Amino acid sequence: MVTSSDSTVKLIGVAKRYADVVAVDYVDLDVKHGEIFGLLGPNGSGKSTLLKMILGLVKPDSGSVNVLGIKAEENPVAIKAQVGYVPESPRLYEFLTGIEYLDFTADLYGVNAAEKRERINEYLEALELEGREGDMISAYSLGMKQKIALISAFVHKPKLLLFDEPLNALDPRSARIIKDLLHELASKGVTTIMSTHILEIAQAMCDRIAIMYEGRLLAVGNMEELREKARLPGSNLEEIFLSLTGTTDVRNVVEALMK
Amino acid sequence: MKWKNVLRLINIDIKSGRLIRGQRFRRYRESRVLQYVIYGGSCLLGIAIGWLVGTVYNGLPDPNVREMLLLGARSLFISAPTLVLTYSLIFTMMGQIQRAGIKSSIQPPYWLPITWGEHTLASILANLIGVQLAMLIFIVSAISIVSVFIGEVSLAALTIFAMLTIAFLASATTEIFRVLQVRLTGAVYKSSGRAAIWVRFFGSILLFVVFYVVYFSFTSGANYAAILEAFASGQKTLWFIPYIWLGMALFSFTNGQILETVVFSLGSVAFLSALFVVAVKLNSMFGLYEPPAIRISLGAYTPKAGIWGRLGFSSSEAAIMRKDFKAFTRRRELMYFFVLPIVIIVSMIMPFMRTSQAGTLVPQELLFFSALILLMPGAIMAIMLGSMIIGQEGSPVWHLYSSPITAESLVKCKYAFVVIFSCAVTLACGAVGILIFRPSLRIIFAAVIESIFLIFSISAVSLRAGIKGADFVEIPRPRMIRPLELMINFIMCLILAGAILAPIIPYAVTMIGLTNLLPQFYLYVALAISGAIAAIVTYGFYRIAVKKAKDFLAEAEI
Repeated sequence: MVTSSDSTVKLIGVAKRYADVVAVDYVDLDVKHGEIFGLLGPNGSGKSTLLKMILGLVKPDSGSVNVLGIKAEENPVAIKAQVGYVPESPRLYEFLTGIEYLDFTADLYGVNAAEKRERINEYLEALELEGREGDMISAYSLGMKQKIALISAFVHKPKLLLFDEPLNALDPRSARIIKDLLHELASKGVTTIMSTHILEIAQAMCDRIAIMYEGRLLAVGNMEELREKARLPGSNLEEIFLSLTGTTDVRNVVEALMK
Repeated sequence: MKWKNVLRLINIDIKSGRLIRGQRFRRYRESRVLQYVIYGGSCLLGIAIGWLVGTVYNGLPDPNVREMLLLGARSLFISAPTLVLTYSLIFTMMGQIQRAGIKSSIQPPYWLPITWGEHTLASILANLIGVQLAMLIFIVSAISIVSVFIGEVSLAALTIFAMLTIAFLASATTEIFRVLQVRLTGAVYKSSGRAAIWVRFFGSILLFVVFYVVYFSFTSGANYAAILEAFASGQKTLWFIPYIWLGMALFSFTNGQILETVVFSLGSVAFLSALFVVAVKLNSMFGLYEPPAIRISLGAYTPKAGIWGRLGFSSSEAAIMRKDFKAFTRRRELMYFFVLPIVIIVSMIMPFMRTSQAGTLVPQELLFFSALILLMPGAIMAIMLGSMIIGQEGSPVWHLYSSPITAESLVKCKYAFVVIFSCAVTLACGAVGILIFRPSLRIIFAAVIESIFLIFSISAVSLRAGIKGADFVEIPRPRMIRPLELMINFIMCLILAGAILAPIIPYAVTMIGLTNLLPQFYLYVALAISGAIAAIVTYGFYRIAVKKAKDFLAEAEI
């Protein structure tokens, strides 16, 4: 079912439990076209589960997930066709070479041969993987594997990018290229939702940020709105994050460890 | 050497068995009963068989027969270590080939305070855990009980000691092979690029074929009997092989030759120590494995239109099939599938060689062997491949979950891969079988048709099990399917294969001359009925597989 709206992702009352653990606790979220949206939260706060629910990899126990105007439970394949996804520490097929892997993923998304060739070669050149594309992935460094995973997410020109720690292990030049690329894509209407622990990156890159804690959305908004919510005018994202998630006892913890 | 470190490392290997899909990891509780049930069961079975044999022996009225059995038992005790050597070598080698993630599973010791000696010893002992240890416990229990009945307790004690030592010897040999293989493949990769893939592929297959030929030549009876005879008659023709020195020591002990017993025992201890030292040395030299950069292709990237696309598969289906083909030729643990049909052929040819040495094959045997070699390899391949084709994806399975592939497409490409692969195996094995057994055209025709029916139906049945029971855990070795699901699938395939083959059995019985030959049209009717049953099974299970694939793709386990 297609709905007319300027939302790329719309979650209403979404919840997910794993046995007695609440992963996502009745979350409402609205991410607009061309936004770069950051998901922050401590480990186990439900960020990855939320990303997987948006992609239709995890069925919510309740609530509705609407992506690009399509209801996730009705046609997940149509959503996946328009999404580029990179999980946290992506495990690639290590027995393939870099180029074989990209060829494989492009084929999964049905990219035609001419486009595939052009885009893959462009990305390989931009991320300085030229000359190494014929090597088996098992011999790649962590950063090279991350680059390959990112290229595979871009190659079919998705309308929505879902990234879990996208800049993990990237060298500064490649990280900068990815950041600039995401901004360029955003200006053309491509939406990015990224989960990260690096608050500086989130603050610098994201138009809006959501802070999750124990499966709940504590706050959603741009930096100014978050400062207001935390009642910390002029503060940076780290201070807001620690204040909202109730983890301001950092000093006490360090002192206890030093004893 | 810190023995506690060795035990800790072995314990980690045992605990790796926990990582089976479907287990509850949160608040994980281990069932110790389930963990050790295989060893307890082997022990009980050994005791029961030992007691049974002992009771029968004591109940024999004829002293001559008792004396003959006693001599036989002594020969068996003496040769038991050699038997343990062969199966320990085979099983530890098989265990090693299936181990993936070499780097992740063996590297942590290098930054932990553990010596190479501790690491090597733990690796050798951990290699024996599983089927090998269960078999050893079974033999030790049986021998212990039998020895009490026949009054050979001291010989049994020495035999048990020899068997334990020789199991260690076998595992140490495997450890040396493993490290050398890692070193060798690394060197080959660095020097020969794409050719390295094929060198490793054919090298691994050759290694296992050699091992299986040795194994079957021992266990199929002919050569094993010769070795027994060699020991029993005092012909020490094999004295120069250090692996059987323990057997020689036992033989000398039974003949009261104390000096030779001591010499062979000390020689074995020296050999075992030397093997261990070599294993430690090799591990410290080459054990720290870094995958070398393997360059397979050079130059600019040009996408190619594959054969699958031309055969009507969509681009995503063709991509998965191409990827699977590469997986089966490049992943060490999947090369096992290529070894399997060779093993089946070897295991069939060995008894045939014995029979043909004894005389010409009778029609019953000819029909049996021909049908078996035409039907079995393809069917077994369909069972194995079908049940593991989803689980072999391992942790990169997230690609299937996140890509826009439908359940129908996933089942279509995986099913096609299994059927094509199994048909190729039938073709290869069938050609060898026809050359060796030279069956009639009618047998070939019927067996090939039935084989195709079996492959199509069993592939669908096994694929359903493969989706339902897929296990993506990869460390220390890929499991690919949950053991219970594999077992259920195997039984189900046996029953359904029986149902598909049933219509042809009356005709086969008349062909081997047990009754008058049925008219030829019966063969075609039987094949048609068989085909109809196969079609129903295939359609039904294919639909179920699609339904299971929908559930599988809907709830990602990542």
